[in-house]
Order: sequence, then C-alpha cells, then structure tokens
Amino acid sequence: MALNLTRRKFLQTASLAAATAAVSGCFANRAAASTPFVRKPFTAPGSFADTKTVVGGVCEMCFWRCQLVGKVRDGKLVKLEGNPKSIDNGASICARGNAGVKLLYDPDRLKYPMKNVGKRGAPEWKRISWDEALDECAAKLKAVSEKYGPHAIAMFPHGASATYPMGFFEKVVGTPNISEASFFQCRGIRDTAYVATLDTPPDENVDMANAKAILLLGGHFGENVHVSHVKRYLKGLENGAKLIVVDPRFSASAAKAHIWVKIKPGTDTAFLLAVMNHLVKSGKYNKAYVTANGVGFDKFTAGIAHASLEWAARICDVPAKQIKEVAELLAANAPNVSIHPGRHVSWYGNDFQRERSLACLTGLLGAIGVKGGFVAGKGPKVGKAGGWPAVNEEHAEHHALHKMAKKYPFSPPGTPTDLIREAALTGKPYPIKAFVAWGQNPIQTVPNQPMTIKVLQQMDFVMVCDIMPTDITMYADILLPETSYLERYDMIKPGTQWDLAGKQQQYIAARLPLVAMTAADHERKDPVWITNELAKRMGFEKHIPVKSQEEKTEKMLAGANLSIEQLIKEEGIRVQDGVEPYGKVLKVNFFSQEIADAGFPGVPTYTPVPEPPKGFARLVYGRAPVHTFNRSQNNAWLVNEMPENPVWLNDESARKMGLKDGDRVSLVNQDGVKSRTTTVLKVTPGIRKDTIYMAHGYGTMNPAMTVGVGKGIDDQSLITKGAVDPETGAHGMRSCFVKFIKDGKELSIPA
Amino acid sequence: MIIDLEKCVGCHACAIACRAEWEVPTGKDSANRERRRNWVKRLGPSKTPHGLASTYYPGLCNHCDKPACVNVCPADKVEVTFTDPKSGAKKTMQVAATWKDPFNGTVQIDKERCLGCGACADACPYSARYVNEDGEAPKADKCTFCVERLAAGLEPACVQTCLAKARIFGDLSDPNSEVAKYVKKGAARLESSKVKLGPNVRYYGNKRDMSLLVATSTPKTMPQANLRRTMMAQVLKSTAREVKSLGLLGLAGALVVKGLQEDEDSKE
Repeated sequence: MALNLTRRKFLQTASLAAATAAVSGCFANRAAASTPFVRKPFTAPGSFADTKTVVGGVCEMCFWRCQLVGKVRDGKLVKLEGNPKSIDNGASICARGNAGVKLLYDPDRLKYPMKNVGKRGAPEWKRISWDEALDECAAKLKAVSEKYGPHAIAMFPHGASATYPMGFFEKVVGTPNISEASFFQCRGIRDTAYVATLDTPPDENVDMANAKAILLLGGHFGENVHVSHVKRYLKGLENGAKLIVVDPRFSASAAKAHIWVKIKPGTDTAFLLAVMNHLVKSGKYNKAYVTANGVGFDKFTAGIAHASLEWAARICDVPAKQIKEVAELLAANAPNVSIHPGRHVSWYGNDFQRERSLACLTGLLGAIGVKGGFVAGKGPKVGKAGGWPAVNEEHAEHHALHKMAKKYPFSPPGTPTDLIREAALTGKPYPIKAFVAWGQNPIQTVPNQPMTIKVLQQMDFVMVCDIMPTDITMYADILLPETSYLERYDMIKPGTQWDLAGKQQQYIAARLPLVAMTAADHERKDPVWITNELAKRMGFEKHIPVKSQEEKTEKMLAGANLSIEQLIKEEGIRVQDGVEPYGKVLKVNFFSQEIADAGFPGVPTYTPVPEPPKGFARLVYGRAPVHTFNRSQNNAWLVNEMPENPVWLNDESARKMGLKDGDRVSLVNQDGVKSRTTTVLKVTPGIRKDTIYMAHGYGTMNPAMTVGVGKGIDDQSLITKGAVDPETGAHGMRSCFVKFIKDGKELSIPA
Repeated sequence: MIIDLEKCVGCHACAIACRAEWEVPTGKDSANRERRRNWVKRLGPSKTPHGLASTYYPGLCNHCDKPACVNVCPADKVEVTFTDPKSGAKKTMQVAATWKDPFNGTVQIDKERCLGCGACADACPYSARYVNEDGEAPKADKCTFCVERLAAGLEPACVQTCLAKARIFGDLSDPNSEVAKYVKKGAARLESSKVKLGPNVRYYGNKRDMSLLVATSTPKTMPQANLRRTMMAQVLKSTAREVKSLGLLGLAGALVVKGLQEDEDSKE
C-alpha cells in the first residue's frame, strides 16, 4: 500500500504547507526571490560546498591509476574527482572511479580480523584480535614451511596492496608458487610474447591519438574503460583514424568501427597470418624497416606462405575480400598505425602465437617509434623502496614447478596456476599445504571452481587478506581486513601526458590517504604493517625493509627529489618537462630461434581450438564499464547502473529457440555444470550464432556481499575446462560451451 | 546541453558523478520511479535502416521550453522575482514549488515548498523526475543543470567527469556557442508528434545511432496523468488563485484537504 501511504503523506504535507502560507502570507517567500535555490535540508549541498579538497589520491577501482582529489566534509569523503592538475586523466574519472566512495563506506567491508570456526566454504566467523590472528597465521605458515618446505605455501596476490607481501613470500619465505591473476589469467601471455618478439613488454603502448588506423582484436573500449587510454582512442577517431575491430560481437568499439570483422572465435591468429602474408606477397610491407631491423624474415615469410586470404576466410568465417581490405587499409596508413597488443589476452589456449602475430604485424608495418605506432612515453625516474632482500629466492627458483617439469618456458613471473593446483591435489612433485590470497579472489578469477575448492580443502592453512568479503574469503581459516586505496600510503604513479604528441611532460603522483586510516568502527590495517607483523612472528624481522607505508612512499619520492610534504604542496602531482618519445627503433624477431629451440613454432602459427559440441555455442566474456573484474560487484552505485550481466544471443537463433529479449534464463555447460543463478536474455543481431557473450564480474556467491550476491551469472562458474597456453602455462578461458535453460528446460542452440 | 554520441563510449561516469554530487539514492521510489537525476541506457546492437547500430541514451532533465511538470505542481504559488545575471533585468512571477526560470531557462524545484506529491514526476514524459523519500519529508528531485556548481564557477558534475568530452554545456541562445554550432550541425531533440515540449538536451550522432536513439528513446505519448493527483493539484491551484493575498489560504486549503481526506476515507 505504498501509494496510499504517499497519498496520506501528501495530504498531511499539503495541509501543513497551506497553514504556513496563511500565517505569513506570500511575503514570507520574498526572501526566496534572491536565492531561489535554497534547498537545505532537503537536498545535498553539493560536493563543492563546505568541503576540503584533499590531494594525493590515486585510483584503484581499476589498475590504470588515475589521479584523484577527494572532497572531504567533516572528515568524511563525499566525492572523488579527477585531479585537475593531472596531465593523464585530467578532471575526468570513470564510473568506477566516481563510485570509490561507495567502496570506502560499504557496510559489508571487512572490519576486524576473523577466525573461521565453521567449515571452509561454510564459514562461521568469530572476531579475534590482530595479535591472535597474526600469531595463528605465522604459526601455521611456519609449521607448513618447516614440515614441507617454504615452497608448500601458495600465494594468489592482486593489486597494489599485494606487492609488498608478495615480495616477502617470494624472496624471504622462499616460495615460487605465486599465481598472479594479472599474469596467468590476463596479460602475461602478451608480455612474454612481445618480449620474445620486440624485446619489451608492450603494456598498451600504442599511440592511438596520432594514428591513421587502429586495429583492435577483441578490444572493446567503452565497455572496457581506462580514462587516458580511451582518451587516446577517441582523439584518434576524432582525427579521422580508420578503426578496424575484430570481434565475434558488435562491441562498443565495433559500433564505432569502419570495418567490423565478425570473426569466428578462436581463429584470430589465422586472420593475422593472412593479413601478414598478403602484405608480404603484395610487397606492401615496410621493406626499409624490415630490412634494417627484421630477424629471420625469410623463415617467417616461408612459414606463413600457406596463409592465403581464402584459407583464412574459411577458418575465420569472414569474407576473403574483407581480410584483404583490412590488410590494404593498414598498409595504406602505415607506419602510423596502432596494432593494439590487447590487455586481457588469455582466451583460447593458443594465445602466445596470436600475440606474437600482433607484434610481428607491428614490425611488418614499421609501426614502431613513429606517430600512431608502437611507442612508449618516457616517464620520470623515482626511487625504489620496500624491496625485500633475496634471502630464500634461490630456494624458490629451485622449486619452480614449471622449471622442474621443463614446461612453459615463456611463463610470466610466478608459477602457472594449474601446476600449483595439480601439485596441491597430487602431492607431486611436492605437496602444497598453505594458501594465501591477498587481494585476489581465485574463485572467480581462475577457471574450474570445483578444482580450486578441492585445492583449498586439502590445505593445512588458508589465510585471506582483502577489503571485501569476496568468494575466496568463505574458504579462509583466518581473514584479515585491509585498508582501501583511499585510506593508505602506497605506490608511486609516474607517467607522461596522455597525448604523446602533446607538449612533452612527465608526472609523478603518489597514493596518499584521502581520509584517515583509522575509525572507531573497524580495525583495518595496511599491507606493510600486516606483512611486517607476520615477518616478525615468522622470524624474519631482520629482513624487514621499511617500517611503514609512509616511509616506503617517502623513500620512493626521495629518488625524484620529492617528499610527501612537497608533493602535497604541488597539489598531489609533480609535473615536469618531458622527453620526446618518438624515434626509438626495435629489433623484430619475425622468426624466433629462442622459441624454436624451446620446441615451439618459431614462426607465428595458428593452432585450431576445439569446436562447440552440437547444440552448444562458445561462451565468451568481456567487460562491463561499471565493473573491474569481479572486484566491484558489491558497489551499490555500480550495481544500480547495471544490476545484471545480460547474456547475448543471436536474434535468429533466439527466434528458432522460442526465446525473446528480456527472458530470464540460466546456462548449462558442456560438462553439465549449471549456472547458480539466472540472468536476463539480450537478443541481438550483433553477435555470431556460435557465440554467447556476457560481462564478467557478476554472480558472487558470498551472502556477506549483500548488494551483489546472486546478481547476474558468474561466467567463471561455467568455465570448468580452462585451456592452457603451451608456451606460457597461462589459462585460456574462452574454452567452454553453453546452452540455455528456460523454465527448467534445456534449449539447444541451432548451428 | 548537447550529448555527442560520436564521442560517448557509454561508460556511465556521468550518472555516478551526479549521484555522488547530489547524494541521489539508488533504486526506485514508492511509485516505482527510478531514483536518478542522470542515466545512461545502452541501446542495441539493433538493426536500423542505416545499418547495425549500438549506442547510448544518456538522459537527464531536458529543462523543456514548455515543461509538463511545472503547471501540475499543486503547491501554493508565491511571488518570486528573478534576476538576469547578464543584464540585471528583473521579472516577478507567481510560481509554485517548481518553475521555469525566465532568464536561464532551467526548470527548478524549491524543496522547502515541494509537497512531495509526485505530480510533476508523473507528468514528465522522459521520467526525469522522481520523489526522494529518504529525508524527513518526500521531495521531488531531478537534474538542476548543476546551477549551484555553475554559480560556484564549476562545470556540471556530469560534464566535468566525462572522459570523452561528449557532454557540451552552454548557452543555446548564443549563436557562437559550441552548443549552438551543434544545433546547426543537426543536433536533435527527442520529440514526437504527441510529445512536443521543446527539450533543451539535444543529441548528435551518425544516422544509424540517431535512428536507434530516436526509435527507442523518444516518448511517443504524454504520460497518463494520475487522476487523483491532477484533481488535487487543480483544486489546490484554483483555490490558491482565488484566495491569494487574502490571508484565507490556510483555511481554504485546510477545507479542501479535509474534503479530499473524507473522499479518501470513504473509499477504503
């Protein structure tokens, strides 16, 4: 009866207002004439009213690290904005950046150290003191280390807060078993493939703002947002750059593209080989650059000679003439073309060779060190601090699973996730008996949840340090609450102006707290304090490199002749003259002897991936602009913007299946694993029939995440069979196939 | 305001910055209206006569030339003098709790006098208003074009945070302004034959995106007025006109209200 209630309220209010007017007549409101916008107390005063602007914020709603200012009223952060002094993001921040306030004050945040007195996976929490928590963590970790060796401890870190403890576990404790999601489930493949080809990891260093053509392979900017990155992309488009988007789905970028290549998922390398072969055969590559800087070019051209336009057209299910059109467009605009290396590239298990192909294509076009090409800005130097001494690093290296197994020679730093999980489950070559998650939620970042859960169940000890009660926290024995990026001293962010062709400038920003670290309602601690306290209790006190986060920041800034005090005086960002970024030449390993010697194809090679079984389509995932991985799914503002992740289905298929836009559906995969929840169906012509798409970062199963729990579908729960990239050991996660369930009935997807 | 869909990437920063700036609650109000001042809706991918399209509907109050929300406000009218900040010219008008500023053209709400009845929110074909029931009393709320921030020399919150510079704010009456140039280039209003209120947020984009935006996001009909609210609004308004300045408003108002309450009770 909500309406009635409102009506009653209305009547009461109306009568009251009328009575007031009677007493004072219309003169009472004359005062309002000069200030017609007086709204207190019924409207917020605005973030600019009676607030202090606090500088020194560096965002970590994602990892692009935009520079922030905080608007603080009575010690409370009311709004985040881009730091107007920033030459990177400027006064702009994205939806997630704006919603940082809601993370800071999320009532579901972890507040106190907790001990699980129930079961792993079905926890019952008991609040304990920091001393008790740290004593137990240290004792249990030490016990595992003494019984099985320090390599029996596995760590799953993520984010800036995990850097310091990761150094401790790797170098001092001495375990190689560190699985960073940012490497093994994200960009590690890209980095090592580019190192093998161009001798440098690429980051996202393509000068899109000054490009005449941009090639995105799966890149979906707009759905994937990093502020200065998207600024570069948009400036390029505004200046008339031709955009080519290769994607099975009509993504946010495809919608702005000149050419949309509606490729069959898994076949991108075949497409790239055909483009390169066409450039070589037609002589439309950059001969001068290749002659001067190419290595193994003859072997390369011979190795890709089979990749005709027709060959690729058949494999990729796109017209041969479109592949040719792409090649010609790139050649016509070379060398000022951005061949984007991608970011999350752990897709199908054949990804190292695709990333190699992108690097080779960049070289073939001579798109290196030139406007619009592969160019890195030259950032300023800052000091180093907080590095742990390499006390037991040798032990760690000696026990690296991939080295022992002589596998995955192009693994990014750390140990491939599946080797850790297999060792844990088989005890071979050695057992893994302690599990530390720090800022990472491996339940939702790593494929095959049942396997991860088995791994957790066989541990002697599980410790988790996080901000939010993510799914992994349900499996912790001891749960430690840490401060957020808005409350702590932390990392240094150096960089350059966002447009590489702009006035050459550099900047140094540091993450300084925008609000106080302590408050009466919690006992959160920062990662340096937590790690140091652990180190002391584990007998490693003498190796502690810094006493506090603040000291670490101070020392790093000192390397740039700066201090925290000075940086604050400079409005949170030091801006200084920069260095011309163009002109750098890179050698290009078209054929790589190193890769060939390791037993892999030295020339970029296409390896087909398994086809969907009959009735299924391939599940691909991507990003929603309001979420970062699975980290933001309890943020009340972000959830409100996109409460669920709609699952995309081709419109013709939907018609044949009797499904319509807006239907509630769930999914089942090729192993019979069903999604725990349902979501809304999006019927669209903008996706291939063999592809199902949804945004990642939904469907947490932890009831302690009261806003996000059960909202949308957790794509990772359906990725039971992860592919493994043979060169790197990193996961491919677009490796599973699904069909629909509606009203309890399984619905096959027509071919 | 102009929204350039060629630039917009649909990131939702505008919507969240607005929520932070004005502490706009999430979810829906008791009449099932989205509680928002500023929103982004993803459109498509869909077929259009100009090809496959996927774009966004970033929406906010249109500060219409002929706003449907103003005349339905049942609050007592008071005399308010408006001043043109440019010329210093003054204009005195009788306004209810919501009005259209005769000089800057924005549509505003006086929260002190707002009755929170929601008549204005029901009248808006763009669903740009809602009733905020979180405070001590329910109050209608919507985008103000951030006149308060403008007065402090700041850009509207959504404009400031927009990484794409897709939101262009300015004076439509100044032919040299950026916004006026967009109008010349064809920036369009979301209007239909039955909904012609003269909205002052305009959208610019390529043919296929505009085709999708217009097809999905133009209101086709004026909202069906909530009869009871409209009736109460009309009664209160006519009474207010008659008794204005006679000091009897309170009495008359109370009588009207009493009558309505009896009517209400008899139905229960």
